[in-house]
Amino acid sequence: MVVTLLVIITITFVMMHAIPGGPFTREKQLPDAVLAALNAKYHLDDPLWKQYVDYVKGVLSFNLGPSFQRAGVTVNQLIKEGFPATLKIGLTSVLVIIVVGIPLGIVSALKQNKWQDGLVMFIATLGVTIPSFVMATGIIYIFSAKFNVLPSNGLTSWKHMIGPVIALSGFSLSFVARLTRSSMLEVLQQDYIRTARAKGLSNNKVIYKHALKNALIPVVTYLGPMIATLLTGSFVIEKVFAIPGMGKHFVESVGNRDYTVLMGITIFYALFLIVMVLLVDILYSFIDPRIKMED
Amino acid sequence: MTDKLLVVKDLKTSFFTHVGEVQAVRGVSFDLSVGEALGIVGESGSGKSVTSMSLMKLLQYPGKIKEGQVLFEGIDLVGKTEREMRKVRGNDIAMIFQDPMTSLNPVYTIGNQIIEAILEHQNVTKQQARQKAIKMLELVGIPSPESRLDNYPHEFSGGMRQRAMIAIALSCEPKLLIADEPTTALDVTIQAQILELMKDLKEKINTSIILITHDLGVVADLCSRIIVMYGGLIMEEGTANQIFYEPKHPYTIGLLKSIPKLHKKDKERLIPIDGTPPDLVLPPTGCPFYARCDFAMKICQEQQPPYFSAGPGHRSMCWRMHEDAPANERFSKVFNKGESHV
Amino acid sequence: MSEQVIKKELWDAIPKESKDKEILSRPSMTYWQDAWRRLKKNTLSMIGLAFIIFMVLTAIIGPYVIEHDYSTQQLTLANIPPRIDIYKVDDATYFYMHSEYKLFQVTADGELLDKIKETQNNMAERNRIYNIGGKEVVLDYKYGAMKAEDNPEGIKYKLLIDGEEAKVADRVQNKSYLFGTDALGRDMLSRVIYGARISLLIAFIATVVNFFIGVLYGGISGYFGGQVDNIMMRIVDIINVIPLLLYVILLSVIIGSGLKSIIIALGSVYWVGMARIVRGQVLSLKEQEYVLSARTLGASSMRIMIRHLIPNAMGPIIVSMTMMIPSAIFTEAFLSFIGLGVNAPLASWGTLANDALGGLRSYPYQLFYPSLAISLTMLAFNFLGDGLRDALDPRLRK
Repeated sequence: MVVTLLVIITITFVMMHAIPGGPFTREKQLPDAVLAALNAKYHLDDPLWKQYVDYVKGVLSFNLGPSFQRAGVTVNQLIKEGFPATLKIGLTSVLVIIVVGIPLGIVSALKQNKWQDGLVMFIATLGVTIPSFVMATGIIYIFSAKFNVLPSNGLTSWKHMIGPVIALSGFSLSFVARLTRSSMLEVLQQDYIRTARAKGLSNNKVIYKHALKNALIPVVTYLGPMIATLLTGSFVIEKVFAIPGMGKHFVESVGNRDYTVLMGITIFYALFLIVMVLLVDILYSFIDPRIKMED
Repeated sequence: MTDKLLVVKDLKTSFFTHVGEVQAVRGVSFDLSVGEALGIVGESGSGKSVTSMSLMKLLQYPGKIKEGQVLFEGIDLVGKTEREMRKVRGNDIAMIFQDPMTSLNPVYTIGNQIIEAILEHQNVTKQQARQKAIKMLELVGIPSPESRLDNYPHEFSGGMRQRAMIAIALSCEPKLLIADEPTTALDVTIQAQILELMKDLKEKINTSIILITHDLGVVADLCSRIIVMYGGLIMEEGTANQIFYEPKHPYTIGLLKSIPKLHKKDKERLIPIDGTPPDLVLPPTGCPFYARCDFAMKICQEQQPPYFSAGPGHRSMCWRMHEDAPANERFSKVFNKGESHV
Repeated sequence: MSEQVIKKELWDAIPKESKDKEILSRPSMTYWQDAWRRLKKNTLSMIGLAFIIFMVLTAIIGPYVIEHDYSTQQLTLANIPPRIDIYKVDDATYFYMHSEYKLFQVTADGELLDKIKETQNNMAERNRIYNIGGKEVVLDYKYGAMKAEDNPEGIKYKLLIDGEEAKVADRVQNKSYLFGTDALGRDMLSRVIYGARISLLIAFIATVVNFFIGVLYGGISGYFGGQVDNIMMRIVDIINVIPLLLYVILLSVIIGSGLKSIIIALGSVYWVGMARIVRGQVLSLKEQEYVLSARTLGASSMRIMIRHLIPNAMGPIIVSMTMMIPSAIFTEAFLSFIGLGVNAPLASWGTLANDALGGLRSYPYQLFYPSLAISLTMLAFNFLGDGLRDALDPRLRK
């Protein structure tokens, strides 16, 4: 895990320093003296290896450096500022996906080929193909502009959460519903379901005790990649809905080429993902006894 | 009339698929006494598994029992509701299946799966059920049952798993145990062990057994009576001795010929039966074995033969058994001389 | 026992050979023929395929056929929607009023003629006076600024033709600009068609680049196996910790925006997925080969086997490529949304959507058409990909 983190830091560092001209290159060239002063201030004139070591040291002590484009602001500050909003929407989305997506998939599987299945699968297919930003802009147009039932920017009330959460979770929710459905259908064909029926167990017990746990195994496996999807989705969602979260800061730094912020947020995301994937692995080992936890 | 545990009368089961009605079982009748072991032998597609699933009404859509009666202890199961059948399954009639690895739920312990069956049908506490489960594991010959109870299926070996399945099946002391190809997925040595175990348990608990298999060798030791099925119908029925030593049906003879024999001095070729099973969407009007039979006659193609008696408790569905059927050199040799096949 | 009399002939024996044995005859097809046959049966996939072909043809031929050019700006004709409300002055003269209170002369069936210059512009009294077709037309927009009690109906403006209040005569399709115009007066239809060119081009080229890199990487990894394979796959695993999209974004920041840069960025990242699949296929191919050599078949049989094995292996690779394309379209649009898209004057669907964001409330159509194009295209590729996956699955061969 540490190796992975180190590699990622290195990759990000190399990428950022591969940019020609350095972070202070603008269209209107700054006077040389100012440029030199800035470079000295931020240690950009140190040899590359030294900058690298300094940076790694910084990361390991949770110091991600200053923002180059916003004087006096550190990357840590920006993260602290933006993380809560992103987390709020992210967690809510995860909750919605699990609480809505999985039951929908189950219903679809149990009513295979009937109208409930058709309806759920139709909506789910739309959900996986319509891009999140189309969904986001669509929601804003229909519910904010036309019907004015939802606010369209900021995050000051629970009403503000509806649009962003729906747009962010749309894809993953549909994916989980489809996955649950196909997994459930496959599990219901298994021999051990036949055994369970042969024991005289009620239909509910067969489905919710025997089938469900097995069917959820692939779904839990998807949770890791899902978090990554939600994370990248947050960039666009936060921009479109004007949510003051980390994604918005990230997008802004892309716009004004604030390299430390970009690097810092990337590393933060990477760390976050590593931790999340670890948690999911632990959860997985609880569900499937055939998997043993190593390390 | 002796009290039979199970009387099956003219059972007909079909699968109503989009290609048509697949008549898997086309009129099967037999009975079973208390404490008796019956073997049902046939190749894949003969209808033997569908018959057993019909007995417990475990058929999944699109299968349905079309006609017939399944009288268990005098009461017809065919008319029972699903709810009523659940009380029967696992309780009065139990079933074990071919592959113990896939037939056990991988995410729950063996103990959980046995106790679940006990708690479903018997009014006992969890503690009592657990004690019972341990006794069952002991009964089927699993060492250190107390700790094994908390193991998962993948932590058992193949033979152990099948033993565990038997433990689950017998946990509520069913009157009838249906074993559908219980040894097919196991090594030969383990096969023998499991069959020994079943024989042993039959004596101990006095459970009736229906053993379903495609392998005649497997039924030899355990079953007192044997039914040979083909094309959804019973071709021949008799005691083990009658079937092995006095077979009166070309199909049975064919099956016996295809078993390798250890004791033969001269090398003999294994003679498989040519051809493939009949199409059950359009079943033949005559004898289902007609197309592959060495002794077929014109009448065999046109009319399905009735059952002819070949002795006490021994019947065969074959026109060659009719008194008017012409004699045939090969027939006499095979049919009447009673060549030893075991 | 039945008492029926059985006719004598019926006892005649029938030799085995004359009986109807089941002849399993099935026309033998090659793997590809069978796959195509299966694919054809899948209606959704066929619809998807048809749509893709339509879109590609439109992208290639469209710009030559459409009357307007994608980059010509006409600021006077900015932000005109595809369906316009027209007012009638007389049988020969109609006009259309733009939401920014500009008037245009139009024909009865919706063709835009020209902007009408006002004869008087009274900003203080909040009205404008025009001379259209010999009549005096007054646009009175003081209502928008009135208080609620003075303006119970909540109207924003009134149009008077020769003193009489004018009502909308009809809502017609804008014949000059079928999809309307954007903020700089450019024709939306030609921009969407041109956007198809750009978006599809980026998607196809990026996918092909990813294919080659992935095949190379995965092929080497799978072929050599052992330590080489271990290390190469570990590298892929580490790369996969960060969502690939992030890499694309970072790369785009480094390389800069623009058509070439996007293609390079996309092509440098998504090959990891392809590499994994190719490696898996190569590994299973190797296994078959060992089995073959163990059976010591002649060289010619080996060639035949490979003719069967390689098509099998190609299946998942083809499906993967088909699914990469909508992924690339999505990513490109995503990048445009963050401001990393192609540069003006080039237009991709993504940049069109991004441009439309600002005027979303007033001019939703500007967002609608590119979004529709993106969604439908992605849907079509997804249907096709699903169908291909089923059709190329050797286990489903009938």
